[in-house]
Amino acid sequence: MQKPARIDELSTDHETSAGGPVGVVRVWDPLVRIFHWTLVLSFVAAWLTAGWAENVHQWAGFYAAGAIVVRAVWGVLGTQFARFSQFVRGPSEIARYLISMSRGTEARYLGHNPAGGAMILVLMTMIIAAFATGWMMTTDTLFGVPWVGLLHSLIVHAIALLIVIHVAGVATASIRHKENLVLAMLTGKKAVN
Amino acid sequence: MYRTLSLSALIAVLAGSSAFAAATCSTTTPDKFKPQADLQKMLEGDGLQVRQIKVEKGCYEVYAVDKAGKKVNAAYNAETLEKTASAEAGEN
Repeated sequence: MQKPARIDELSTDHETSAGGPVGVVRVWDPLVRIFHWTLVLSFVAAWLTAGWAENVHQWAGFYAAGAIVVRAVWGVLGTQFARFSQFVRGPSEIARYLISMSRGTEARYLGHNPAGGAMILVLMTMIIAAFATGWMMTTDTLFGVPWVGLLHSLIVHAIALLIVIHVAGVATASIRHKENLVLAMLTGKKAVN
Repeated sequence: MYRTLSLSALIAVLAGSSAFAAATCSTTTPDKFKPQADLQKMLEGDGLQVRQIKVEKGCYEVYAVDKAGKKVNAAYNAETLEKTASAEAGEN
């Protein structure tokens, strides 16, 4: 059964892609896309350098935290689909979306779907927590204190698990709605229908 | 006078070079390692407050603070308890 696409709050004066097929809009602006993929890179870099290349590890952490601060500001001042107000939903709407997703009947969103929006907030919060605990480990007061390192490690492993869920969600939504969401995060473009 | 100066210069050079010849991590099996307690005692004798000792392959990585409360991070050969050049010696 063909489900109706849900084009929430799409402004009427949206730009269509130059030379692209009709009905394709640029949803993700460059800042959103650069933020997303450099955050991926910084997480991978930090993960791989943990314990043996402290310099790279710490720079990756500083980058990630800085990028999240910029993204949070952009979430208020940025373009239409970058704004938190466009994609952050309440718990009941997120729950309803997840239930419909489990039944395979969830609506398509042009922006982030409610579960994706929640994932963004959780990941941003958790990465800030990873940065904060990682930074704490470098202070004279907390250096070498076992619980700080343990907490940092637990948070980072939770993030890794969340990333797996995030990717699974992206894959599910891509298959359900026959669109490549990974490509969309690279090009910024999505089909209107 | 000249001889004493050159001799002391030579000693200084030798002492300097030996200071740079830092130990590497042990390559033997863990049963030949010295107990961590020995290392801890040695470091506490140097005025360090040891917070954590981790085994990193053939090294003990120490997380400590000095008398001034400044963090100290170093790795020691687990077999000889000699200090290595880098705190990350056991993980590279």
